[in-house]
Amino acid sequence: MRLLEPVRRTTRHTFLCVLPLLFLTSAALPASTYYLTVSGLGGEPDYEQHFAMWANDIGKALKTAPDSKVETLVNATRDQVRAALDRLAGSTQPQDDLVLMLIGHGSFDGYDYKINLRGPDLSASELATLLDRIPARRQLVVDMTSSSGGAIQFLRKPGRVVIAATKSGTEKNATVFARYWIEALNDPAADSDKNDVVSALEAFRFADKKTAAFYESQNRLATEHAVLEDTGKGEAARAPSPENGEGMLAAQFPLLRIGATAAAAKDPAKLQLIAKKDELEQKIDKLKYDKAAIPPDEYKKQLTTLLLELARTQEEIDK
Amino acid sequence: MKLLLAVLCAAAALPAQTLEQAESLWKQHRYYEANDAFRALVAAHPRNAEYRVRWGRLFLERYNAPEAAKLFNEALEIQPKQADALFGLAEVAANGFEAQAVVFAHKALDADPHLVGAQELLARVALEDNDPAKAAAEAHKALDMSPQATQARAILATIDWLNDKTDTPWDPHDGAGYETAARIFVLNRRYEEGIKLFRKAIAAQPDLWSAHSQLGINLMRLGREQEARAELELCYQNDYRDAATVNTLRLMDSYKNFVTYKTDRTILRLHKKEAELLHPYFEAEMLRALRTYDKKYGYKLDRPVQVEVYPDHEDFAVRTMGMPGLGALGVTFGYVVAMDSPSGRPPGTFHWASTLWHELSHVYVLNMTDFRVPRWFTEGLAVHEETAVSPEWGDRLDPHVIMAIKDKKLLPVAELDRGFVHPTYPAQVVVSYFEAGRMCDYINREWGWPKLLAMIHDFAGGASTPAVIEKELGIKPEEFDKRFLAALDADTKKTVDNFDEWRKGLKKVAEEYRAQDYEDMLRDGAGIRDMYPDFVEAGNVYQLLADACLAKGDKPGAIAELERYTKVGGRSPDTLKQLATLLEEAGNRKEAAAVLDRLNYIQPIDEDLHRRLGDLWLSLGNTAGAIREYQAVLAKSPTDPAVSHYNLARAYRSANRADAAKDELLLSLEAAPGFRPAQKMLLELSK
Repeated sequence: MRLLEPVRRTTRHTFLCVLPLLFLTSAALPASTYYLTVSGLGGEPDYEQHFAMWANDIGKALKTAPDSKVETLVNATRDQVRAALDRLAGSTQPQDDLVLMLIGHGSFDGYDYKINLRGPDLSASELATLLDRIPARRQLVVDMTSSSGGAIQFLRKPGRVVIAATKSGTEKNATVFARYWIEALNDPAADSDKNDVVSALEAFRFADKKTAAFYESQNRLATEHAVLEDTGKGEAARAPSPENGEGMLAAQFPLLRIGATAAAAKDPAKLQLIAKKDELEQKIDKLKYDKAAIPPDEYKKQLTTLLLELARTQEEIDK
Repeated sequence: MKLLLAVLCAAAALPAQTLEQAESLWKQHRYYEANDAFRALVAAHPRNAEYRVRWGRLFLERYNAPEAAKLFNEALEIQPKQADALFGLAEVAANGFEAQAVVFAHKALDADPHLVGAQELLARVALEDNDPAKAAAEAHKALDMSPQATQARAILATIDWLNDKTDTPWDPHDGAGYETAARIFVLNRRYEEGIKLFRKAIAAQPDLWSAHSQLGINLMRLGREQEARAELELCYQNDYRDAATVNTLRLMDSYKNFVTYKTDRTILRLHKKEAELLHPYFEAEMLRALRTYDKKYGYKLDRPVQVEVYPDHEDFAVRTMGMPGLGALGVTFGYVVAMDSPSGRPPGTFHWASTLWHELSHVYVLNMTDFRVPRWFTEGLAVHEETAVSPEWGDRLDPHVIMAIKDKKLLPVAELDRGFVHPTYPAQVVVSYFEAGRMCDYINREWGWPKLLAMIHDFAGGASTPAVIEKELGIKPEEFDKRFLAALDADTKKTVDNFDEWRKGLKKVAEEYRAQDYEDMLRDGAGIRDMYPDFVEAGNVYQLLADACLAKGDKPGAIAELERYTKVGGRSPDTLKQLATLLEEAGNRKEAAAVLDRLNYIQPIDEDLHRRLGDLWLSLGNTAGAIREYQAVLAKSPTDPAVSHYNLARAYRSANRADAAKDELLLSLEAAPGFRPAQKMLLELSK
């Protein structure tokens, strides 16, 4: 078990295609990201094997990314999880990011949620206390267990994105969300805006869509419905959007960097071009936001002009 | 006045004390009160079998056959030879097309030899089995019991009408009698004539709501939806709300969720959630089938064929309510075909194109014969057509069929219709489809396609199965059966004889695989596979052998095994994709594309499939194919819209359709403005 040096990164994210201006965050934030993945008790050989495999797959996916630093606890005990979170409490700084991913079976008795671990289980209320001690101001908790929806009320907090594989504690069947969360970490398609960074929101949407497709393809009634909460005070949403106020922080949360986004930014000669690019992107966002109010032909004309200009600018930057 | 009303209402609410009161409430259509009255009567007289039978009759009339059967059985526990209870059970079974109907009817007649209804029911079942001689004999027995037996007269009249003899001395002149005739015409797929008879039944008895309901359902089957709805709503308003009426109305309400596509030869109705994706595949296949059948049958349909595709199997099931042959995947009503969507079935269990060709064959055969064709022949020919398109299509020799062959349960050709309509064992419908299909295969092989065509024309002229067999094949039906069984035996002997050994062997091979004993497994597995090569379901040997080859690093061996699996009709999407991957890795992109294209006929609702096939076809220069596949990716809200639009742009560019390519690039970049490959192509196309 080891906790490696944190990742330093600069990134830029937009939220939704329809309302990007509201959430634009082009500020470059030097940050460190700590990843902790925990897989719980399987109970049966099949689940044991799957949970361990998924946890290790997450570890592998994160390690292939540049400068990634990861800790993975397979078939963990409560003490091991407590110890790992205690160490994070001691090592992270407020500007850092924390990503905690939980895989396994969960349970919900109507009052509290627990992830099933080897030995005593860990409750959501205790987990929340442990996380609150960690100074990292931006946190992402991805609880992929059954009944994980029951954990949201305990885990939600301003500055923390909470993703649960189930919409409530009563969705008790074993989940497949983790399988597609891992796919999101490995498939470039998850980076829907092609900015070389998979945000928490992009990964959530990707995994949620794939999970739904899984049940549809098997002609089975879906027994899990993933949700996301990132305001710290709202109801978790199935489809985060500006309308329901969920997803803003998740859109800004860089889960995984899959390309060399920051290289150009280091070249002072290109700063003007980068500024132009940012400006064009903002104009495109604005145009998309106004789309409904513009005649289709006019919209297409304006969009073409802006996209061509952006493409030329990018070509200059890439030279 | 108010006081008097209150007293009257209170009196009406009291539980009935006598059977007459319960019957009176029933006659007044006060069904709930009648039900309460019967309940009170049965509670007060628990050993009275007659009360239970009458209560059961109420349930039977009010569309609750399971409760009715329960009460009839309770009556029989009290009085084992209660004739009316036995007759009630016969009716329940007959309404569900169960062979037990005949057994119960005979028992009822043993208990009461004057029970005309039971005798009439035997006549009806015989006619449903397409045995008019037996049906006539049974009907005459009923008339001997009672010259007023209108159902018996209706059966005799129906036999005449089915033979186009309009002037019959047996006209029942009775609504229920015409309704029985109408139902038998529908069973014979002669929907138009059935509709006329339902109308006649209604004219004779305007409040015969069961006839109104069936009229509505059959009008709907033929696509006359406005009139159908009017009839069904009339039933509903008059408190006739059986499952068929209510579910058909619900289905019609759901049509707002369907999209209709038309060509001069086809009308295709698809659910909007999958319409854009399925439309090109279904329409192309419909047109291909129609072109093929035009030539093959030498017949031109006089109007477009309508195909309705239901993603919810329950919606499709509404279309087949009240018809024999549960578990169907498709059904044809003249020029209207209703079928399951591939999304309505678990992946790999349903070959939609095979079903489509099967049903479209019915459209030709039914119309060529003016619906005068025995069930075994039209089903057999339709099954034959499935594998005529491609040997990989159609259903395999399944364990039920093997057991039926082994136990000598196949029916003679002259009686094969019975296997479809009133099966005597659970798998008999499936076995009958197989047998009929193999019979048509056999006729085609031994006498040639022109003989099958000639048989169609003979049936159109009203000839019976024995007469047609004798005329066209030059042998008696008994001789045909003998030769057919000998040929079938030769084809299936190895599998049938070794079936028990195969079962044991399959278990052993699976154990060897689990133990990673690949050498032994590969040696034993090949032998087991060849004992029953048609077994391609879950747990098949092909997959185990391929996996064992891969475990040993033998990719060519795995490819060869999976190709065998594909050629015998294996349909698992995962396995076919695995084969495509192996072929692609081996540099055989053309074969890989062919394997993936097969999946389009099995499970086309698969983004990954379309993307991969699009990539392969684009790299092989099949731009039209690539465009179709990339459009399919976009039809169902892809996980990566930017790349999906970009891929389609690449295909358009390759097809020299620069404007279409630019449109797609704009859509790609609208989703992801910084997507470099799309930016690059946009700049290139804008120069």
